[in-house]
Amino acid sequence: MFEYILKRILLAIPVVVVISFIVFYIIQLPPGDYVSSYSAKMSASGDIMTQAEMDDMRANLGLDRPIYEQYFVWVKKIILHGDFGFSFNYNKPVMAVIQQYMGLTLVVSLVTMAFHYIIAIPVGIYTAVKQYSAGDYFFSGLSFIGMATPNFLLAIILMFFSYKWFGNPLLGLFSNEYVNAPWSMDKVKDLMQHMVIPVIVIGLSGTADLIRIMRGQMLDELNKPNVITARAKGLSEMQILFKYPTRAALNPIVSTFGWSLSSIFTGATITAIVLNLPIQGPVMHNALLGQDMYLAGTFLLIMALLTVLGTLISDILLAWLDPKIRTEFRGS
Amino acid sequence: MANPNVEGFSLKRKSNLLIVLVLITTILGGCSASSSNNENEESTVKEPVVTDNSAKEAPMLAKLVDEGKLPALADRLPASDDIMVEEVVEEIGQYGGDWNMPWTGVPDKWGIGQPTEEALFRFNKEGNKVEPNVAKSYEVNDDSTVFTIHLREGMKWSDGVPFTADDVLFYWEHMLTKETFGKKIYDAYYSVDPVTGDRALAEVKKVDDYTFTVTHKYPSVLFLERVAIDNKWFFAPAHFHKTILPEFVGDAKTLEITKQWGYEDPKVFLMETGYTDWLHYQIPTLRAWVPTNDPNGDQFVMERNPYYWKTDKEGKQLPYIDRIVATKIQDPSQKVLGTLAGDYNLVIFDSKDFTVLKENEKKGDYRIIPWTQPAWSSAGVQLNQTTEDPNLRKLFQDIKFREALSIGVDRNQVSEIVTSGLGEPIQASVPEGVMGYQEGWAQQWAEYDPERANQILDELGLNKRDKDNFRLNPDGSELTLTVIESTTDTAPFLELLKKYYEDMGLRTNLKVVDGGTHFDMKYANKIPMTTENISVVNVAFRPDTMVPLRVITPWFGHYGLYSQSGGKEGVKPEGDVAKILEYWEKVKASKTLDEINQYSNEIVKLHQKNQWVIGYAGPTPVLITASNKIHNIPTDLIWSDEYRSLGQGHPAQFFIKQ
Amino acid sequence: MMRPLPLFKGQRPAVPVTAAPKDTVYSSQWRLIYQKFKKHKLARISMYILGAFYIIALFAQFIAPYGLQSYDSKYVNAPPMGLRFVDADGKFHIRPFVYELKSERDPETLRKMFVPDTEKKHFFKFFVKGEEYKFLGLIPMSTHLFAVDEPGRIFLLGTDGMGRDLFSRIVLGSQISLSIPLVGVGISFILGLIIGGISGYFGGWIDSMIQRIIEIIRSFPTLPLWMALSAAIPPRIPVVTMYLYIVIIFAFIGWTDLARVVRGKFISLKNEDYVIAAKIAGVGDAKIIVKHLLPGFMSYLVVATTLAIPSMILGETAMSFLGLGVRSPATSWGVLLQEAQKIENVALYPWKLIPLAFVILTVLTYNFIGDGLRDAADPYKK
Repeated sequence: MFEYILKRILLAIPVVVVISFIVFYIIQLPPGDYVSSYSAKMSASGDIMTQAEMDDMRANLGLDRPIYEQYFVWVKKIILHGDFGFSFNYNKPVMAVIQQYMGLTLVVSLVTMAFHYIIAIPVGIYTAVKQYSAGDYFFSGLSFIGMATPNFLLAIILMFFSYKWFGNPLLGLFSNEYVNAPWSMDKVKDLMQHMVIPVIVIGLSGTADLIRIMRGQMLDELNKPNVITARAKGLSEMQILFKYPTRAALNPIVSTFGWSLSSIFTGATITAIVLNLPIQGPVMHNALLGQDMYLAGTFLLIMALLTVLGTLISDILLAWLDPKIRTEFRGS
Repeated sequence: MANPNVEGFSLKRKSNLLIVLVLITTILGGCSASSSNNENEESTVKEPVVTDNSAKEAPMLAKLVDEGKLPALADRLPASDDIMVEEVVEEIGQYGGDWNMPWTGVPDKWGIGQPTEEALFRFNKEGNKVEPNVAKSYEVNDDSTVFTIHLREGMKWSDGVPFTADDVLFYWEHMLTKETFGKKIYDAYYSVDPVTGDRALAEVKKVDDYTFTVTHKYPSVLFLERVAIDNKWFFAPAHFHKTILPEFVGDAKTLEITKQWGYEDPKVFLMETGYTDWLHYQIPTLRAWVPTNDPNGDQFVMERNPYYWKTDKEGKQLPYIDRIVATKIQDPSQKVLGTLAGDYNLVIFDSKDFTVLKENEKKGDYRIIPWTQPAWSSAGVQLNQTTEDPNLRKLFQDIKFREALSIGVDRNQVSEIVTSGLGEPIQASVPEGVMGYQEGWAQQWAEYDPERANQILDELGLNKRDKDNFRLNPDGSELTLTVIESTTDTAPFLELLKKYYEDMGLRTNLKVVDGGTHFDMKYANKIPMTTENISVVNVAFRPDTMVPLRVITPWFGHYGLYSQSGGKEGVKPEGDVAKILEYWEKVKASKTLDEINQYSNEIVKLHQKNQWVIGYAGPTPVLITASNKIHNIPTDLIWSDEYRSLGQGHPAQFFIKQ
Repeated sequence: MMRPLPLFKGQRPAVPVTAAPKDTVYSSQWRLIYQKFKKHKLARISMYILGAFYIIALFAQFIAPYGLQSYDSKYVNAPPMGLRFVDADGKFHIRPFVYELKSERDPETLRKMFVPDTEKKHFFKFFVKGEEYKFLGLIPMSTHLFAVDEPGRIFLLGTDGMGRDLFSRIVLGSQISLSIPLVGVGISFILGLIIGGISGYFGGWIDSMIQRIIEIIRSFPTLPLWMALSAAIPPRIPVVTMYLYIVIIFAFIGWTDLARVVRGKFISLKNEDYVIAAKIAGVGDAKIIVKHLLPGFMSYLVVATTLAIPSMILGETAMSFLGLGVRSPATSWGVLLQEAQKIENVALYPWKLIPLAFVILTVLTYNFIGDGLRDAADPYKK
């Protein structure tokens, strides 16, 4: 197993390098560049830039050099100085920007992820075990509604009703007076209040998927001979449940579990925009839209790393979960 | 036989428990949200209620004076004769409170910059002349070549350092003429010889600590107005800039400071500190509020300037409002929701949101104050007179084609659907009450007459049709009108337009690109039609949208490049467009205000004659949405960029009634 | 008769097979599945409903009383009209009718208030001549299922911000929303299955390489790709073609999820006894994959597919949110939902959220069908 992991880590390096270049290339693919977006914004507020000023700015930011040069300069800085470059939009080093939003992103992401798995897996198991019961229909119905409604529509509906019934639409993650305030119990309470809508919105849709998959898998496994045998042998229901069907049923979930790592990093983007959550997702979205090269590039690089790491973790989990897979990996 | 008893099966209970937990959290969250709303109200007001209104300075400052951290009021204000007294709109105000507003972050910097601006001279309430602001008074000689400007004795920067003519001279000599902040020397400082067209740069000299002169070689009648529009402020905190400009500390040190501030490039750094400087708390300012934190955060806070040099009639130091708190938002629906819920107490909306805002006026305890815009229309198109395709160009330059496009669209439908009836079904024209208004212009080609439109198009030789029944060019090639937009906001309007144009047999394509690309395309003359608006208070002040001086306005496309490049590139203006440029030269060389107005009017009349810009619904107002607790907001001003939008209402004298 | 299997408490016994013993003994795998499926009540109902939707989509232009470009400034944001049988005087009419709408603009809020004018009745008419359209894009026709006489209007579900009938837009929009996702899912499905299967079945360096390629593809930033695509597409391209391009790109990036799961399952099932037995017996690889391995996780495939279709419908909404994809006047449910995404619609004109109900119904029916299929395909479920 150990050599397997080592081999995978070694393989990861060329993959990440290839990704980094592709990604860098794709970012600047749309026409225009950062200076175009910048001058467009400036002219919208009456501050018109001349062609000379724009050319000047391009030269200053190094945007007039060919794409290969820009890429190599960037990579060189990363490897030699650990310097991920500069965000044109924020006028700050890229790392500073990412760090600024990292904390809250993790909070939101982890809470919603916990919500997902803690609710989805047991509910999935339950609806499989009690197929066609009232509980099954209730949960299935709820999860369908969650799955069928686009996140941002649900978000805006919930915000509006929150305003209508409670007088407070719960925008963003903090009320006005707590945004810059130091941490205190009140601030935590404020945060928890504001987390309600995001968790419901983000949680509901993703949970639905997981519930359905879990349920489907469990239904598959529950009638298999090994379960019947185990029961005949006298194992308790709980033991049976966790030893055989659940493990096999978790297979598809675990296969893609590692990829949720990169989504933890960004948080849900469109929902975050609608709900005004100050997390990485919208920051990356804007960086891509405005072609803020180094910020976007670094984001994508980190996500690539997390994706590769995620795949590795998934594979390890798969092996741990299913002895048949373990043999397969060892054997190869 | 084992009868499996699943009583011990606690999963069911577990999931039940989870449901209950979620429901409880939701309900709790909701309940405390409504109860904390009341807390919000109280904690917003940080200072104790001022029952005795006779204090001449804000309580938070008085406290600092008592603690010895701040000099007394009399020492902070200018000399008593030189204090600027600001008229209040309704009544003398109370101190205290926050102005809560939404913004989209640093790109939105002018949203804070304009209302808080303190120019050397600012536009008066009527908008037709300038009045001294930072300056105390001025004198002009008879032929408008020498301007003597007096400053206020004892006036200080926000850090207490005196503001003197040295700051003006420093700005002139070491920043503006050396072009350190990325802008070329403003046009306002040049005067033009009416005969030879020679341009000469003005001379600025210090007379004493509070007086300086600007001397032009040739008459510059609108000099102060032009400064108020181009340059706005004509000074900078010398004591600060001496510590960062390369001229004083050397390139290496400037680079070091640049990195310290978090910037990468000294040029950008100098622009941010020398031009758009109101976001940085390190830079002393004359504005009523001073930044206190990083504008890139989620909430940007500005606090009152203890050395602000204006008071009200009773001698109370302004501003009344303690702080400006700008909260970052990402989606327009948050702006509306936040206003409805009272999170924001003074917000600017455009008329699209009128209905939903009006419906909730009572519940939200706010009022809507519409200010008119000097825009020619709220739904119109500009036809690029220099568009590349020769067939299209011929059509666009043909006045009959423009007439057909104009009368082929039902303005009533456009007005109703696009502006909810707020914009009248009239032609793009200078609105009544704005300089350049022409009687009858609004009705020009404003009737809906599709028969006549089709007739005109037939007469223009466009009577051949293709297999989809769209008209072809006289030479048989495909005729397509392409409208290129930088936003999806205008989509409903353009959908309607497409229907009417295609009903006339003109194939129409709509394309949306992002803002940056749109900008590039404008420069490259690749935009045949787009929906930009013309909104100008006086063409003599801001000619860019009506006179082809630069490549910036879609209707004159590369005519502007010709002027900008001095004839080296672009398309040579001819016909009425060339006439506009002639009149503009006359405006620049005018010796009196009357002359200027006369020639400006001629320029406007040429626009009326040619209608290069076609409008289908009249201008709509800007909606200033203010909490009912905020007072002293004027109700009848014009909203325009030249007047610094909300700044025209003098926010320093807005106050929040406790 | 076998003893009934022990059950978990609360679990209902599976439906016993009673009729047609001959068929169940000799029928092929697929026929068995089909018969079991028919017995699943909820799945059957869902099939009918979904079938009805598709038929409506096919005949959309006939069923919709108005077209996609029937802008009408007189009826902007009008609420749904009720079909009535009894008029204000208490008289009963067999033929349903609607009242003409009187509109008044509230002078303060500028909101148009619509009041039914009980004086003017407009009766339902069937098979009316109306706007022209091309059935299936080929045959020019102008007959509509129902309409009311001019100047009356029939807005069953209200109108939108440009005065267009919402019911017509929903019906016409279903054409895109119900058909295109099938294409996208079809492509993802096939790609994911084949590539994932190969990866899992053969293992070794093939698996490694394919997994690395998957990682690379997953890292593609979709937003700049859409932006670049959006800028590169000529403006006159038929909307459907444009949407097809987008869906194909979606599919080409989206197959990775399925591939990964298939691979995981394959690795786990590869070493099952029956597979090894087949290998020893000399069965070719392809046949092993299709006949032996696939049915093993058929249920996951079914669930994944029925989950993927609604997510494609919604994916289109997300694209509209970002300003890409289908644009008015072309209509899809995604466009309708995107237009509803405004506070004033949620607050003042809630009927604009009705398309949501259609999306939910579609999702529900697909899922119940999926349920039925899954149950039917389960070899262990008696």
